[in-house]
Amino acid sequence: MRDVLTAYRALARGGTLVAVTYRGRLVLRVLTGFFPLLMMAVWLTVVAESGPPAGWTSADFLAYYAAATLMANLSGDHVVWQWDADLRSGDLSLRLLRPLHPFHQYAAADLGQRLVTLVALAPALALAAVLSPALDYPVTPARLAAAGAALVLAYALGLLTASTFALLGFWSTQTANVWLLWWGLGSFASGWVAPLELLPPWPRTAAVVLPFRSMMGFPVEVVTGRLDGGETALGFAVGLGWLGVFGLLYRVGWRRGVRRHQAVAG
Amino acid sequence: MIRRQLRVLRICWRAAVAADLEYRLQFLSSAALSAFWMVWAVAGASVYFRFAGSVAGWTHGEVLVVIGLFFTLNGLRQTLLQPNLELMSDHVRRGTLDFLLTKPFDAQLLVSLGRVRVTNLLDPALGLVLVTVGVVLSGRGVSPGRLAAFLLLLCCAAVLLYALTVLLMAATVVLVAAEDLDRVSFAFVELSRFPVDLYRDPARTLLTVVPVAFLTTYPGAALLGRLDAGMLPVAVAVAAGAVVVATGAWRRALRSYAGAGG
Repeated sequence: MRDVLTAYRALARGGTLVAVTYRGRLVLRVLTGFFPLLMMAVWLTVVAESGPPAGWTSADFLAYYAAATLMANLSGDHVVWQWDADLRSGDLSLRLLRPLHPFHQYAAADLGQRLVTLVALAPALALAAVLSPALDYPVTPARLAAAGAALVLAYALGLLTASTFALLGFWSTQTANVWLLWWGLGSFASGWVAPLELLPPWPRTAAVVLPFRSMMGFPVEVVTGRLDGGETALGFAVGLGWLGVFGLLYRVGWRRGVRRHQAVAG
Repeated sequence: MIRRQLRVLRICWRAAVAADLEYRLQFLSSAALSAFWMVWAVAGASVYFRFAGSVAGWTHGEVLVVIGLFFTLNGLRQTLLQPNLELMSDHVRRGTLDFLLTKPFDAQLLVSLGRVRVTNLLDPALGLVLVTVGVVLSGRGVSPGRLAAFLLLLCCAAVLLYALTVLLMAATVVLVAAEDLDRVSFAFVELSRFPVDLYRDPARTLLTVVPVAFLTTYPGAALLGRLDAGMLPVAVAVAAGAVVVATGAWRRALRSYAGAGG
């Protein structure tokens, strides 16, 4: 266990260094990271012209999308592309020889890169908070703690689902497209396309039990104070349940897949 | 001269298409995914119209026209421009650009259009279907004049996108490690998913200057008969200007290129 933690520190540092080496890339990442704000801009137009939809005011949209932007940039789905590339190029063989499970190697490197994104994004969000007084979160210590826990859960679940889908690469070359289909299906149930409260009733009900909301919308809803105690508890239960399901799927998939694995020459 | 260039391009494309079609499953699953994204984009836009009859003066059908044009242009970008842009950073890093430059052929043409990828070939067609659906839903009908203006503006949009790609290639030559420059062209097209009016000022003015509005908003508005005819010469001038700037940047970049040595 201590070995794993030491390795995490070193690999995360490596990921951080890679991220800051290509500074131009970092700037582009951060700029394209603001895309969810476009959807917010359209909502603000709707509010200005037709009044608050379902009671959502401009301030509500601002708070929601500022937090959603942060969540969108923390998703660990880069792991899928990395894993896919390594399977194709044969670099996975190299990773298999190291005394640490590849999952941890990818996860630690991704963690390092996410930290850089976070540091790059934080000043922009802080500036937005100062400039627009409407951006205000009803924070209490308990709610902040819950939001922090939900964020960690979201990141862990995102990383685990991405890694589970990446395992498909042992059987098929279509991993990327399968992952895109999964992500696309989830984009409605996660709160990415629009806040879940604004969707028609049936996708909203489905979203409560599906895993996607735990990875994006749930932490946002917690920090914006839209959930009561029971709803928060339910959200955590659903997220933890899916964490268990994907943990199991990953273990089984890994054991079967790695046995099938015939390395591509490096 | 032009006939020779077309012949060379045709040979390049035939080779690329043959190579792509070896991965048949990839082709089929990508085509299915294209249709899926389109359905999803339409569903996503309809969420706004649950709460408003029109947004910034655009009705649901009219917005669908612009979304369809977005898919058309994005498909063109993924088919013609993206594969070349990806290859370009390899050319510069590995020094294979040296070989291309010594060939007795226009290097800009070869580098910017020499490759095609067929995986997203369906997108432009699907996009135009959605445009048709949107026009019907908007109930505005079509006239030959509007159709002509639309086609002219669509050509201007394609030229604009091409100019951006050449500009990014010039940037690749100067910056070397710039694989992610492809994200710029992605972002440029992605911004044109909705009519720029939906974002209101100051974003709308910014997107008109940048000139994202010329990609889908103006061609869509022309087709729907809601564009001022005075915009036509402006669009042509913007497209022509962009090509001049991009070609100039490409030539300048090549002059500073020292070769990487294979």
